Amino acid sequence: MSHRDQIFQGIRQAITALPERAAYPDYDTAAVTTPRWLPAAEENETLFRKRLTGTGGFFFESPADCAAWLKKDGAKSVYLAPEVAHLAADFAAHLEVVPAYTRDAVDRIDAAVTVAHGAIAESGTVILTDSGTPDRLAALAPWWHIAVVPRTGLVRTIGEAIAALPADPGIVWVTGPSKTADVEGILIQGVHGPGRQGSFFL
Amino acid sequence: MAHQKIDTYAATLNPEVRQAVRSNSAAGTEKRYEVLGSDFGNPDPLRKLAGAIKQHTIEHLDQYLEQAERSLTANGVKVHFAVSTQDARQAVLDILQQTGCRKVVKSKSMISEEIHLNDFLEENGVESVETDLGEYIIQIDHDHPSHIVKPILHKNRRDIAKSFEREGLGDYNDDPETITRRARAFLRQKYLQADAAVTGANFVVAESGRMVLVTNEGNSRFCLAGTRVHIALIGVEKLVPHDRDLAVFLNLLARSATGQQLTVYTEFLSGAALPAQPSGPREMHVVFVDNGRVDTLASNCREILRCIRCGACMNVCPVYRQASGHAYRSVYPGPLGAVLSPMLAGKGFAQLGDLPKASSLCGACNEVCPVDIPIPDLLLKLRNRAKEEHLPSPGSPPMGGFALLATAPMLWRTAMHAGIALDLTPKGLIPVPALQEWLKIRTLPAWRGGKFRSWYKNRPAQGKDRQP
Repeated sequence: MSHRDQIFQGIRQAITALPERAAYPDYDTAAVTTPRWLPAAEENETLFRKRLTGTGGFFFESPADCAAWLKKDGAKSVYLAPEVAHLAADFAAHLEVVPAYTRDAVDRIDAAVTVAHGAIAESGTVILTDSGTPDRLAALAPWWHIAVVPRTGLVRTIGEAIAALPADPGIVWVTGPSKTADVEGILIQGVHGPGRQGSFFL
Repeated sequence: MAHQKIDTYAATLNPEVRQAVRSNSAAGTEKRYEVLGSDFGNPDPLRKLAGAIKQHTIEHLDQYLEQAERSLTANGVKVHFAVSTQDARQAVLDILQQTGCRKVVKSKSMISEEIHLNDFLEENGVESVETDLGEYIIQIDHDHPSHIVKPILHKNRRDIAKSFEREGLGDYNDDPETITRRARAFLRQKYLQADAAVTGANFVVAESGRMVLVTNEGNSRFCLAGTRVHIALIGVEKLVPHDRDLAVFLNLLARSATGQQLTVYTEFLSGAALPAQPSGPREMHVVFVDNGRVDTLASNCREILRCIRCGACMNVCPVYRQASGHAYRSVYPGPLGAVLSPMLAGKGFAQLGDLPKASSLCGACNEVCPVDIPIPDLLLKLRNRAKEEHLPSPGSPPMGGFALLATAPMLWRTAMHAGIALDLTPKGLIPVPALQEWLKIRTLPAWRGGKFRSWYKNRPAQGKDRQP
């Protein structure tokens, strides 16, 4: 008997022996998963900014603000994804702009600006997809990663984002900078991914 | 007097380690409590809902596993099944050999710990590198994780600095930031050189074949950006029926594990990377592993299969805090491990049959569990099983004499009257080792035997009491 058949046979034997089986519970996602502090009136944009900052991330009013901050924080070079290539002038004023991201550039390019599919306001999360991100590495390997959020892609809650998961094989939600507390419980940012995670709206 | 094995281990624990384990797990419990409380007030409805979804899933596992297999296959994923530890290791090795992979990077996965995958791959000429910072340190130290979420809870920065120095990752430096930067620089080369990534999965959705993988460090994302083949080792119980259920579980997992609203990187994978995507696996394999889970499903402890591996039960457990994870002598420590480890051991139950006794049955593990597993009930069932299988029970006083008295009313009455003799006997002369052990730290009160018995016999009948 194949491993598959052996496993299924074992499961069926175990289950048919049960006197009764638990039914799938009926529930309303918003009713059970919405945090009670979620302000009813606050706009998604304001909420996203607040929550992103709460996770250790940075929010910028404009591409020019972002570029100036990158320079001030120590970045020298920045890769701009094709979708934001039109912002090159803003960034070129402060940094060397690199037009292409390649595998051998992992340690050479300091910062990357890519475009998110959307964002979740209640958690300050940006949603990246395989189809929307030019290179998985570009959004991960640099010390500074800026995910530009299209206002139309902003949803309010985790539940809404789950209900609207795009048809893409590689979706990643990023909530703040890469983190660890493995060494004596001390929080360190920038383990394998970016040490600085930021966003602005477009 | 003989002690339980877990007590014997705890007694040898370095006081510094005990302090670290205790304060770190207590901090984890505090954070969880604060976050769940401020976000949901009473988190019980959410916990109980999550538990009900998982219980439904495991009780319809044949249906959901088949559906998951169909969905994954439709997404272009190759699905494999493995019954035992050996089968699971071999399945991974076969995939690696068929795809010509010699170097592997691994993202933390408890199931790969269960099957000791790294050692097996190394023996077969495959380099396998753990990429979670804690797991990497465990690997270079040839050690074992002592917590399922915080694997190096038992190590301090000086231990780690020595290990890094030994491995040639720079001069001795015990600054946690420096340690992290050195690991970052070293491991990113490993991601880029590796052929394949081996990961676990936190959830697999039956209806869509979506697999969810969470990490804070971003290591699993880097594994899946640097390599060309992805192999996910997944326990057959990791399923949830629908995409919408992920909202329930993701709202609980990080809050319960680390007190975060969400883990930093939450990946939803439904196959290899898009062809237009320059980085990421070109093929994806899922190995569904049994390794004792099907037997657990058939047992009276099947509720343990709801577990989503958050670690909240070990953080809150007074026994875990005192004994640390290695005291459990298995991959899964704490209250979860005290149930799951003996169950997964199958024929080796006798070797771990003492673990269910490592609990005061205080019930804290049940209260914090995001899927509401009745762990104390399961511990009692396993204690019963250990008794039925006549496993030795060190640390328990012999109960034969008491059993005889308690089942013979005449003898009991005589003993109650004769007990007064205890008051007249010098206690140090009573030749019962268990009693002498007990007396080292306690004193016996004066004998009052028989009082309850005579009160009970002479009490007014209840009916009379109620009359006006």
